[in-house]
Amino acid sequence: MTSHSTSRPRILAGPAALVAVALALFSVLVWALPAPAQPKSQLKTSQSGASQSGVSKVAAGTVARGAKTLGTVKVSTDPAVITAGQQLYNLHCESCHGPGGVGAKAPQLLDVGPAAVDFMLTTGRMPLNSVTQQPLPGTPYFNKTEIAEIVAYINFVDVSHGTPGVGIPTVPPSCTKESATCPTLSEGNELFLMNCSQCHDASGAGGMLSHGYVVPSLRQATKRQIAEAIRVGPRPMPGFGPGQLTNQEVAAIADYVYYLTHSGNRGGFGIANFGPVPEGFVAIIFGLGLLLLVARVIGNRG
Amino acid sequence: MSTVAERSAARKRALLEEKVLDELDDRLGSSKWLRSALDKVFPDHWSFMVGEIAMYSFVILIVTGVYLALFYSPSSAVVVYHGPYRPLDGQKMTQAFESVVNLSFSVRAGLVMRQAHHWAANIFLAAVAFHMGRVFFTGAFRKPRELNWTIGLTLLIVAMLEGFSGYSLPDDLLSGSGLRVVFSIIQSIPFVGVWLAFTLWGGAFPGTSVFFTRLFVIHEFLFPLILLGLLGAHLGMLWHQKHTDFPGPGKTEHNIVGSRLWPQYAVKSAALLTFIAAVIFGLGGFVQINPIWVYGPYNPARGSAGTQPDWYVGWLDGALRLWPHWEFRSFGHEIANPFFPGILLPGIVFTAMYAWPAIDRRLFADYGEHNLLDRPRDKPLRTAVGVAALFFFADLTVASATDLIGNALNVSFELLIEILQYGSFVAPIVAGVVAYKVCVLLQVQNAHPIQRPVGGVMVRDARGAFHTLGAEHAHAAPEGNGHEAAADSEETALEAAGGEPAPG
Repeated sequence: MTSHSTSRPRILAGPAALVAVALALFSVLVWALPAPAQPKSQLKTSQSGASQSGVSKVAAGTVARGAKTLGTVKVSTDPAVITAGQQLYNLHCESCHGPGGVGAKAPQLLDVGPAAVDFMLTTGRMPLNSVTQQPLPGTPYFNKTEIAEIVAYINFVDVSHGTPGVGIPTVPPSCTKESATCPTLSEGNELFLMNCSQCHDASGAGGMLSHGYVVPSLRQATKRQIAEAIRVGPRPMPGFGPGQLTNQEVAAIADYVYYLTHSGNRGGFGIANFGPVPEGFVAIIFGLGLLLLVARVIGNRG
Repeated sequence: MSTVAERSAARKRALLEEKVLDELDDRLGSSKWLRSALDKVFPDHWSFMVGEIAMYSFVILIVTGVYLALFYSPSSAVVVYHGPYRPLDGQKMTQAFESVVNLSFSVRAGLVMRQAHHWAANIFLAAVAFHMGRVFFTGAFRKPRELNWTIGLTLLIVAMLEGFSGYSLPDDLLSGSGLRVVFSIIQSIPFVGVWLAFTLWGGAFPGTSVFFTRLFVIHEFLFPLILLGLLGAHLGMLWHQKHTDFPGPGKTEHNIVGSRLWPQYAVKSAALLTFIAAVIFGLGGFVQINPIWVYGPYNPARGSAGTQPDWYVGWLDGALRLWPHWEFRSFGHEIANPFFPGILLPGIVFTAMYAWPAIDRRLFADYGEHNLLDRPRDKPLRTAVGVAALFFFADLTVASATDLIGNALNVSFELLIEILQYGSFVAPIVAGVVAYKVCVLLQVQNAHPIQRPVGGVMVRDARGAFHTLGAEHAHAAPEGNGHEAAADSEETALEAAGGEPAPG
């Protein structure tokens, strides 16, 4: 009788170990799975505002280096749209940014321009719960129409103030297919590694700054948002003006980042694209862990 | 028990074996040596196979490494890339980097071999570390095996250097950043550092054309030959001194209970090898590692967040991050800061590890020979020291990932560094004390840490009745938990410590 009861846990120890390892493998797999690809409709949305003329201007800039005008999305000046934007602003933004964007707890918006507003709202950074928080990407609070209305309102405020700010830039069509029509990819790669990867990681996975500032991943960013961020500089990220990066260079970076995050991982699962740390984790937990289990099956236990 | 067909197959196999051995013996006269070698008995405990995992990973490293060496070009000559990976098209890079990109994208099976090589290196070091932990916690390093502990530790250090030199070969952004750190650490050695660094690199960083040739020769010939030599000595000594085993029924200081090399242990070992190859090449084929094309060619002006060394160097990277910004100045000279975490710390750590068998002898006033292992609980002090060391290494390794942890948990980088700075001495002390207490408790309760004691082996006889063998052992010799009580003539053989193998 004793032998029966004492031998039972030994039978249970094997399955328990298997379940533990299975759980570990599952968590690794979940982690390793690539981030869900951006829905195509959303990509189109981000560029639907781009006027064809804007696209062709930047495309022309590829030929003539350093084109002076960046293609911009036309912002509505329809009074009805501006009024709708003002109503949304008064409901959701005024408590921190002050009446008419003059600033209060949060910075003034009198010269930020459409690019900054569009960037903050389409990436879900605004509205914030508290002014002490770092704005980080998330699910957008407003829908497409509402964002266009708020952009129109802030644009109206800025233009009335005499400081129109940076317009929403447009970038050439995406470049994920292997073809010879993307001469800017290589330029974008060099510029990205020279200007951006120091904080965003060479893989665009993001990182960490001092004082608790998080560097967000670029995986969910659209090309338009990337171009906006470069020009606007959502703090703590610095803005890059036309003197530092030409319009063509901004387009090249956006193009490359989009390629980097949407062309798939050559060589298999990217394990979060964070480099040697997750690689070591997989090697020890998955690789050696599996082999220890095999050794345990082959060898004697006792 | 066995069918007629099985018996006839076994007879055929035996005849074939005999024929092959006779052919060999006629030419080499080797039957006596071969007979005793094939009859050698190896204990079967699963944890003794971890060293084999390391050994077979090393074999896979050599095989894949030879393939990679066919295509690698150790040259810092600048070339312009024109290849299938368009984001690098038209960029200037060293021939070394270009050859690794071409190896990844243009050579058949190049990428899977390169990834398998890298995964094998990470698993090799993990297995070496685990094996070393097993040897430490069970006291397998005690007399007469101190010398083999020394050889094993040297293997670990050379393997770390070999891994780092391989990480540096592709000349991508990670390689260059890592070499930059190592160059500075070498420079920080008082008096000789600058000369040493400039001599190794052939000039100021990033070095002259001689550097990659040197790195290649070091990674490709020097360290692998040292590793092979040490591995040979390690195994030769194991063969000569025979394996240790856990205490248990039928086991004494002068015998070995287990499987004979041929055929049982050879089959087990071959099965392990195939599993290791499957895991390593499975990872190499399905999981990306070190995508050098993403990092791009090294350029000192560039950088990337999340730049870390491979996991086994992570504790030294973490030490660099945690070491406070103290300055030591005297007689107009300053000892540069990286010297302490980069040279002094590993120096102290490895010296302590080399010295441990001697420390252990004095600590327990035990100068005798031991062929039976300690259970970790029976030497609480040693176990506590080992657990403390593991927590120390874990703390430093976690410190090398502070930016990723901060990003994932949204915690300030400075706070994490501060926590880990205190953790580097608080965690080992707390963990050591807890481990000590747990050992003492386990001694009192005499329970297995994760499973209850096993009473014996249940067998079913020809008439269908069940019997439990060895249940009386469980009461008579409680330390024999889980060991097979009866020597099964098929599976187990006894070998007298210095004499002829006893008939199974």
